[in-house]
Amino acid sequence: MNGYVRLVYRNIRANLDKASLFFELIFPLFFIFVEGYGYTGIIQPFDLGNGRLIPYKVYLAAGAVCLTVINGGTNAGTQLWYDRKNGMFEQILMGPFNRAQYILGIVLATLIIGIAGSLLVFGLAFPVLGYSIAWTLRGALLVAFSLVIGTVFFGGLAIALSVVLRSSETFQIVSSFIFFVFLFTSSVFFPAATAPEPIRTISLLNPLTYTADIFRDGLFGLSPALLALELPVLAIEAAAIFAVAVFAFRRIRV
Amino acid sequence: MLTTLLPPTTGSATVLGFDLRTQGSKIRERIGVVQQQDSFDQGLNVETSMDLYGLLWNVPKSVRRERIEQLIKDFSMEEFRRTSSLDLSIGQRRRLQVAREFMHEMDILFLDEPTVGLDPLVRRTALNYFKQKVKEGLSIFFTTHILEEAEYLCNRIAVINHGRIVAVDTPANLKRKFGTAKEVEFRFLEGTSEEFQRLLSTEDEVESVEFDKESGAYKAKTSKPELVIPEVYHVAERLGLHVSSVYISETTLEDAFISMVEGADKEAKVA
Repeated sequence: MNGYVRLVYRNIRANLDKASLFFELIFPLFFIFVEGYGYTGIIQPFDLGNGRLIPYKVYLAAGAVCLTVINGGTNAGTQLWYDRKNGMFEQILMGPFNRAQYILGIVLATLIIGIAGSLLVFGLAFPVLGYSIAWTLRGALLVAFSLVIGTVFFGGLAIALSVVLRSSETFQIVSSFIFFVFLFTSSVFFPAATAPEPIRTISLLNPLTYTADIFRDGLFGLSPALLALELPVLAIEAAAIFAVAVFAFRRIRV
Repeated sequence: MLTTLLPPTTGSATVLGFDLRTQGSKIRERIGVVQQQDSFDQGLNVETSMDLYGLLWNVPKSVRRERIEQLIKDFSMEEFRRTSSLDLSIGQRRRLQVAREFMHEMDILFLDEPTVGLDPLVRRTALNYFKQKVKEGLSIFFTTHILEEAEYLCNRIAVINHGRIVAVDTPANLKRKFGTAKEVEFRFLEGTSEEFQRLLSTEDEVESVEFDKESGAYKAKTSKPELVIPEVYHVAERLGLHVSSVYISETTLEDAFISMVEGADKEAKVA
């Protein structure tokens, strides 16, 4: 069996327990069904810029699917953190793997969890919401891009945090806080363009805004001009944070 | 460093003929390591931990199954084979860590204080297991502070002091070269005698004679106990004392180790 497949399987099996994965799924569904239906009564369907009216619950559902990307990304940090705490980091590096393979194993496991989780939430939420998507190749590619690059960004961030923060409590609290900031200053819950300053500016720096916007574009179709800006910005942000994560990872002392 | 976890700062070294700096992956493919620190997969039970570890080493499933059964038996882990690693005691977790390393084939096994946390019975079982593996052709690089274990297990011992090798030899040769004087311990049927102590001390082969109030025994340090024992009887007879017991204590590897390290420290200070 290929070395990466073995590492990825081991990462998913050893470092991620079923209960955590279950709650990671429940979390976005809770937003979709409770908050989505709750606010739909007071928020009228609105135009995303392409002339189509979208109910708030559908708008929120698309954003909440991207929330799974954050959760999936956090897993990257958790995997590395547990391996370092439990001595498996050193153990694996003294086995038939090098550092690059190890970190790539974590990234691939994170991508699988992040994307599979997102698709599962999507598959559970959209049929219930009664909104049918007219899939196109362009739309599918945009959805894939947003999920993969979004997961890479948040995975990279979580890896960097897990290198810097050695205590379990600090890692949990700081990563939860940072991810909540990303969540509430993004376009997951509201369109960034219509938000008041300075939330609007902050949300335009937030990669989760671009992840959610590109994902929505894949589903509903948005302005090509906006996409031309958002695609490279998200890619650059993900590349930058991933470079930071690799730099931090390389500095881990054994 | 030999396990390639740390890069060499200066110099060069080879393991199994492979260069540490340039052929690390070839070395890692052929070694096994039991670290001093804990290493376990959080929340997995003993069987699954071993299976997953075997998978990391690309051991086929059927072989993994066989090895798991054998190792669980060899390391007496039947009782807790389905217990989560988080619920294992320190000793049980250590047992798992040691046993798990034998899930894959290797040419050299690095053991860094592998018996820490093991009870005496399991410790002896593990040492015997290592010994058996050595007989079957495995080379073991064993790091320990417990010198009885080194003496029991190792064919060659390197003593390291402040990062430098002070001596490398067989346990017997190290004891011979660096062993301090042996001790002849004896008691009288009744009474003590300062005169006896003084007279015996003047003998050529005797380095010192001390009286241990707690045990009521005299202890004479010497490198030639076979010459001192007749003298003990001779002097006792002259003073009208009756020797009730005589015991020779062997030089231990620990004695030799202390002598080596102290010698090396003195040399360093002089330099």
